[in-house]
Amino acid sequence: MLLNDCDPGFKHQVAAEPGGQGIKACFACAACTARCPVAGHVEGYDPRRLIRLVLLGRREEVLASPLIWLCSTCYSCQEVCPQQVSFTEVLTAIKNIAARAGYGPPATEAVIDQLAAHGRLLEVGEFENQRRTDLGLPEVAEAPAHFQKVLGVEPAGGKS
Amino acid sequence: MAVKTIKTPAVIIGGGVAGLAAAIDLSRRGLSSLVVERGPRLGGRVADFCCKATDSCVRCGACRLADLVRRVAARPEIAIYTSAKPVAAEADGDGWRLTLEPQRNNGPAPVVELAGGPLPRRSQVQAGAVILAVGATPFDPSAKSRFGYRRVPGVVSALELEGALEHSLAELAGGRDPRRVAFIQCVGSRDESLGHLYCSRVCCGFALRMARVIQARRPGTEITFFHMDVQTYGRAWAGELAEMREQMNFVRAMPGEVTAGPGGPQVVYAAGGRSQTAEFDLVVLSQGMRPPVGAAALSQLFACTRTSDGFLGSDAEPVASGAAGVFIAGSARGPMSIVESIEHGAVAAAAAAGHLQPLVREAAHA
Ligand SMILES: Cc1cc2nc3c(=O)[nH]c(=O)nc-3n(C[C@H](O)[C@H](O)[C@H](O)COP(=O)(O)OP(=O)(O)OC[C@H]3O[C@@H](n4cnc5c(N)ncnc54)[C@H](O)[C@@H]3O)c2cc1C
Ligand code: SF4
Ligand code: SF4
Repeated sequence: MLLNDCDPGFKHQVAAEPGGQGIKACFACAACTARCPVAGHVEGYDPRRLIRLVLLGRREEVLASPLIWLCSTCYSCQEVCPQQVSFTEVLTAIKNIAARAGYGPPATEAVIDQLAAHGRLLEVGEFENQRRTDLGLPEVAEAPAHFQKVLGVEPAGGKS
Repeated sequence: MAVKTIKTPAVIIGGGVAGLAAAIDLSRRGLSSLVVERGPRLGGRVADFCCKATDSCVRCGACRLADLVRRVAARPEIAIYTSAKPVAAEADGDGWRLTLEPQRNNGPAPVVELAGGPLPRRSQVQAGAVILAVGATPFDPSAKSRFGYRRVPGVVSALELEGALEHSLAELAGGRDPRRVAFIQCVGSRDESLGHLYCSRVCCGFALRMARVIQARRPGTEITFFHMDVQTYGRAWAGELAEMREQMNFVRAMPGEVTAGPGGPQVVYAAGGRSQTAEFDLVVLSQGMRPPVGAAALSQLFACTRTSDGFLGSDAEPVASGAAGVFIAGSARGPMSIVESIEHGAVAAAAAAGHLQPLVREAAHA
C-alpha cells in the first residue's frame, strides 16, 4: 500500500458525520480492544486498528471490510476510552458512510429493499390478511412511501 | 496581643525543591527571603524519594534535595518557617501583606533541622514579592476505578512502591514474593475523560527506574510495562531504553481493567488485536500529577490566574501569575521533574528580583 493510495480526507469525512466527532482524539491506547467482547472472539476485529485505518485514510479497506458490521453496540469501548472517542458512535458514522457508498452487507441491503418495497420486513398479502380476519384482527395495508422517504430510495425499490 | 510583622523582600510559599532553589537564587542576588512551609520539614515530595541507582547513577534527581538544603543552611539571608501557611493576603503598595497561621503537624519529626523552625504564632509578613511554590498533587488512582486501586489486593500506586522500595515489596503484594510485576502508565494523565490532557512527564522515568531497582535486587523478576508510548524527557535514555526492552516486557496497550484473580491481580489488555488476561503478583499504577489541591484558594488569595490545565500561572508565560509581584515556581505551574523544578525556581527568583529592583533602589535612596 502506497501513501498515495491513502485518502487524507477520509478522517475528516468520518469526523463530520454524526457520531464520528471524537475519532481524531484517539491515542491508540487499545483500552477499547482490551474490553471489546467481539475482539475477544472474532479474529481481526480490533477497534484500535479500525480507528488507525481511518486516520491513515485507508478508505476502501475500511468501508469494504465485513468487520465494521460486527459491533455489538455494547458500549464497553466507550466506557473505558480515556479520550472520549466513543468508538461505538464512530462505527455508526462509518457504517452510514459505507451504506451510502454502496458497501452495505448483502443481508442489510436485502432488508432495505424489502422495507422500501413493502414498508415492512414481511410482505403482507391476501393470505396474511385472511389469517388476521380469522383471528379477529383488522386488515393491514402496505404503506411503503414513508420508508422510501426515510431510506431515500425510489418507489420502485431500487437504491438511489 | 500584638501581631508580629516580619519584613522581607520576598516570601516563598512552599519549601520543596522549587521554593528552596528560588530562595538560593535570590540570596545569590543579594536578596533575603522567607520560606513558609506548611509541613513539619523542608523538601516537599522529594524528601520521600530514595536514590534509584543500581550499579551506576540513573539521574533520578533525588539527591539534589540534600544539596539544596545544605546551601540553604549556609545562607543566613534565608529565613524559614515550617508548620505555617498563608491564610490572608492583600496587595500593599508595590508588595504584599500576608497573614501566616501556624499549622498543627502530627507527621514525622523534621528530618533536617534548620535555622527558623515552626512558626510560633499567627504573624504578618510584609514582602515586596511573593513566590508560590506549592507543588502539584499526585493523582489518586482510585478515581480510575477500573484499575482496581483500593479494590483489588496487590494493586498499588507508584508512590506506594517508592515508599516500599527500601523495605519489603512482599508486604505490598499481600505477602506474596513479587516475581511478576506490572506497571500501568498514564494513570490520571493524558486522559480527556478526566480533563487531564497533559503528560505528567516524570512517571515513565519513575516507573522504569524502580523497575530496574527491582530487577537488580531480585534478578529474574518479570516486569511488564503497559504504556502508550515511553516519554522520558531530557536525558539520554535511548541506550538505556534499548537495554530495558531486552530485560522487560514492553506492551504498547493500556489495560481495559484489573480484577482480582486466585494468584494475584489480573490485567485485561489487548495484544495482537485480541483481548488477553495475564496474572501478576503486583500491579503498580503510575499516577500522574494534578494541579495543587489548594490552587483554587491560592488563586483567589493572590488574585492570580490558572493555566488551561488548572495549575497556577498562565499558559503564555513561564513564571508570571497575572498578579503584580506574584510569581509561580516549580510543579505548581505544571508537571515538572525535580531538575526542571529547580531550574524553574531560579527563573521565578530572577523575575521576582526584577520586580524588586526598583523597590530595593528606592529603599536605598530613602
Ligand atoms: C508519582 C510521582 C513520581 C515522581 N517521580 C519523579 C522522578 O522520578 N524524578 C523527578 O525528577 N521528579 C519526579 N517527580 C516530580 C517531583 O516530585 C517534583 O518535580 C518536585 O517535587 C517538585 O518540587 P516542588 O517544589 O515544585 O513541589 P513539592 O515537592 O510538591 O513541594 C511543595 C511544598 O509546598 C508545600 N505547600 C503546599 N501548599 C502550601 C501552602 N499553602 N503553604 C505553605 N506550604 C505549602 C508542601 O508542603 C511542599 O513541601 C514525581 C512526582 C510524582 C507525583
Ligand atoms: S480506548 Fe479510546 S484512545 Fe484508546 S485506542 Fe480506543 S478509541 Fe483510541
Ligand atoms: S511520563 Fe509517561 S506515564 Fe507519565 S503521563 Fe507521560 S507518557 Fe504517561
